[in-house]
Amino acid sequence: MKEHKMEYVKLIDTTLCTACRGCQVACKQWNENPASKTQNHGSYQNPQDLEWNTWTLIRFQEYTDTDGNFKWLFRKDGCMHCTDAACVRACPSGALHHTDYGVVAHNREICIGCKACTSACPFDIPRYNKTTEKIYKCDLCYDRLKNGQPAACVKACITGAITMGEKETMIKKAYDRVEKLGGKAVVYGDKFVGGTHVMYILSEPPAVYDKLPVKPSVPMSVILWKNLFKPFTLIGMGAIAGAAALHYLIKGPHEVHEKKEGEE
Amino acid sequence: MSNHSAEMIKVTDGIERIAHWILAATCLFCLLTGLGFMFHSWSGIPNMLGGYYAALWMHIFSGLAFAASLIYGFFMWKKDCAFEADDAKWILNGGGYLWPTTNLPPVYKYNAGQKAFFWCIVAFGALIVLTGLVMWNADSFAHVVARWAFTLHAMSAMVIGSFFVVHFYLGTIGNPGTVSAMFTGKCSKAWCQTHCPRWLEEKEKKVA
Repeated sequence: MKEHKMEYVKLIDTTLCTACRGCQVACKQWNENPASKTQNHGSYQNPQDLEWNTWTLIRFQEYTDTDGNFKWLFRKDGCMHCTDAACVRACPSGALHHTDYGVVAHNREICIGCKACTSACPFDIPRYNKTTEKIYKCDLCYDRLKNGQPAACVKACITGAITMGEKETMIKKAYDRVEKLGGKAVVYGDKFVGGTHVMYILSEPPAVYDKLPVKPSVPMSVILWKNLFKPFTLIGMGAIAGAAALHYLIKGPHEVHEKKEGEE
Repeated sequence: MSNHSAEMIKVTDGIERIAHWILAATCLFCLLTGLGFMFHSWSGIPNMLGGYYAALWMHIFSGLAFAASLIYGFFMWKKDCAFEADDAKWILNGGGYLWPTTNLPPVYKYNAGQKAFFWCIVAFGALIVLTGLVMWNADSFAHVVARWAFTLHAMSAMVIGSFFVVHFYLGTIGNPGTVSAMFTGKCSKAWCQTHCPRWLEEKEKKVA
């Protein structure tokens, strides 16, 4: 039996985020991910999307709310570390797995680059690298957690927008904060895919945010694949083999009958 | 020959048997490696082949060979496997395999069950190859397409794997005297009279 350690939750309070992108830099630095050559798209959002070497990214979004107020929304995107993780369900080699902290880590040594996870993830997180033929994503700095250190992004955050701690404590903290904020502020993360180990405090309804699913779930295709077709491949073959054996024992093999000369 | 039942009749030619065995070998190899990817408890299969990465590439190349032999087999067997009116009657009588029946329509080369197996392999084989190609290049497709490709690939494997067991049983111990059709290519005259009487009749007429 696996030793049960504390389950962590990383809470991202978007209302405190100034989009300094210190977390983005700290993530690159700690995980030794090279920088990409990027282009100016008229936004501070850079690079434009998550990449094999960019595991977290501040999304800059210009938004006018229902009262006509202009807002600049910042959201730190990255792996949500689902409890019921579609990527873990889909992974054939066992490279994607849950750690004792509840977060989803990735053993790149045994990843075969089959890309089953990239399309299974409801948050569009894992990224494939054509050169190494491997998948890359945030593992919530598993190596740091093991040594009693917070993830690099948490450590780097100067405004206290990113904090980390024991799961129940953090969920309570999130709801207390939302209550204090009032208005449209909501907690995002604890109500789906078994609860995510990365949660948001959002100042606007989730539907407002770019690339943030309102009701993320393990895709139906993954459930059919893993819970129906997978077992029934063996059950089907086994049942038919059993039926054939019974047929052989009860009805017997189908012997050929000789046709006598002149017989019709 | 005086003893007619001992007379052996050529029922398949060399190219048919080669195509059959390439199709069978690649299909079974893909099935076994595929089960290795599906079930963590079957990791022995990929590990025996040098690990998951090696097994994945062997699975892909075996799949490509399967696709090639499938296309060849399709054009070779589609005429003999075209359904005809009597096939429904054959199916409704359980092919004579399940309960006693006296009104089985005489079969030409392949009976309705064999035809159904052929078309099942053609249809789900095509689906498993196409979805396999999508999976192989999943990063070039929309997520929703790639996602369902994995699912339909597994579904096709389930259908092909299950029907394969039927095929294996009826081609070997379920029908004594059949298996030689895929080794020596010859079956006894009595076998032909039982399994493909109309074909035999036509063949004998041609000779005469």
